[in-house]
Amino acid sequence: MNARLARLVDRLQPEDFRAPAHNEKVTARLGLWLGIAFLLCFVTGLLSHFVQKPPGWFVWPASPVNLYRITQGVHVLSGIAAIPLLLAKLWSVYPKLFARPLVRSLPHALERLSILVLSGAAFFELATGLFNVAQNYLWGFYFPAAHYAVAWLAAGSVLLHVAVKLPVIRRGLTRLGDPEPDERGMSRRAFLRTTYLTAGVAVVATAGATVPLLRNVSPLSWRSAGPQGLPVNRTAGAARVRDAALDPGWRLELGSMRLTLADLEALPQRTAELPIACVEGWSQNATWTGVPIADLLKLAGADPDRPIRVTSLERRGAYRTSVLPATHTHGTLLALRLNGERLALDHGFPCRIIAPSRPGVLQTKWVQRLEVL
Amino acid sequence: MRIVLALVGLALLGYGAVLAWEFATSRTVNAVQGAAWFVGGPLVHDGLVAPVVGVAGVALARFVPRQWRTPVAVGVVLTAVLTLLAIPLLWRPFGVVTNPGLHDRNYGLGLAVALGAVWLAVAAAGVIRSQKAHL
Repeated sequence: MNARLARLVDRLQPEDFRAPAHNEKVTARLGLWLGIAFLLCFVTGLLSHFVQKPPGWFVWPASPVNLYRITQGVHVLSGIAAIPLLLAKLWSVYPKLFARPLVRSLPHALERLSILVLSGAAFFELATGLFNVAQNYLWGFYFPAAHYAVAWLAAGSVLLHVAVKLPVIRRGLTRLGDPEPDERGMSRRAFLRTTYLTAGVAVVATAGATVPLLRNVSPLSWRSAGPQGLPVNRTAGAARVRDAALDPGWRLELGSMRLTLADLEALPQRTAELPIACVEGWSQNATWTGVPIADLLKLAGADPDRPIRVTSLERRGAYRTSVLPATHTHGTLLALRLNGERLALDHGFPCRIIAPSRPGVLQTKWVQRLEVL
Repeated sequence: MRIVLALVGLALLGYGAVLAWEFATSRTVNAVQGAAWFVGGPLVHDGLVAPVVGVAGVALARFVPRQWRTPVAVGVVLTAVLTLLAIPLLWRPFGVVTNPGLHDRNYGLGLAVALGAVWLAVAAAGVIRSQKAHL
């Protein structure tokens, strides 16, 4: 059986795949759309990385308040669209796998190697990304570091691939010139349209996680409503802060000041409509009421345009502290209320940070301390 | 143009290789599982997914009447991709504990409804095309 299979694979020639889907004009069009999807993924992913680990030169604006919500939504949804595009593109070029000899020359060997890297990196990013948005961890490694490193491999190998194939791409993007469909299968146009339709359906099937209009349309959206109309990514139980958060002795440490919840509620309050936008692509607008961070800075005798470090009651974990940059102090609230009610414990009671245009992991909950930097 | 693209591509690849090397050498599990995921995609695709697609295509062409071929092919493709997207939501041995409001919908039902709509559309398209062909 194995020997017969090996003989079959050996005998198979690229010319044996006669379906119009394998035409280079089809390949070029799919490659163009896949390239656009990957470019969107790469740029928005890089932005998200910089927002979370800002290099010195990087400034992320506080307005529009939905900016991060949009960039991260685009990141995840362009990744979803890339799944059918990648599969169709690879099916289009699959016959090339059977070209013999395997290696013709050194440049040819390097090109094949770069395509292996491209294919490996593309599958790696899409597969780990898809499982990560479902918070389903089929691996023991730290996802952000892996997804980030491989993103550079994917970007580099895509550019190299485009450079190598540029003449073919130019030729391929001329008129589709579809001959009448025949017995060899779907026409070029039908194959392309099926792929585009599938990419669109895949996006609509999942986009309810971030697009309000599709909330009740998307069957595979990875979120629903949650307490106070907002999903919770980390509960007080999981963060082990339940007792500390409910302790009547809780005080907010602000410089040398110690403020009770009643003290905070007695300060002038502001109400703002701000989104929670998760790195996993879901997002939700909500109405928050609390004390503007700039007011708290003034209260502590500090310049309201100073960055601050926020520390949670959480004892450990990557999301225990966050730094709020100076650009965000005026738009950010230390929120006490959510959608007209006192904050639920899982949403960060007694108080949490809610900043415009920032990823959810930086919207520190169960705040214990604010330090002026 | 091509030279510039290639050089920039090589530079990004080089940076990615440095990051991947740091990632892989920091923990054994990173190296082993990272490599498995990296190589797994092309292997599973080229060795399993693509041959299945090819066989399915040949079977479609052989057994499905001409007027039904495109609608059925579209239905099969949509079924495969929607099912693929649903796998991480339906099969969660390594999923985090369900948080309030996240990953808590009935995805089996959602997928079934979506596939029902797809095949209803396939049936409608097939019937219309057959009718037209008879006229």
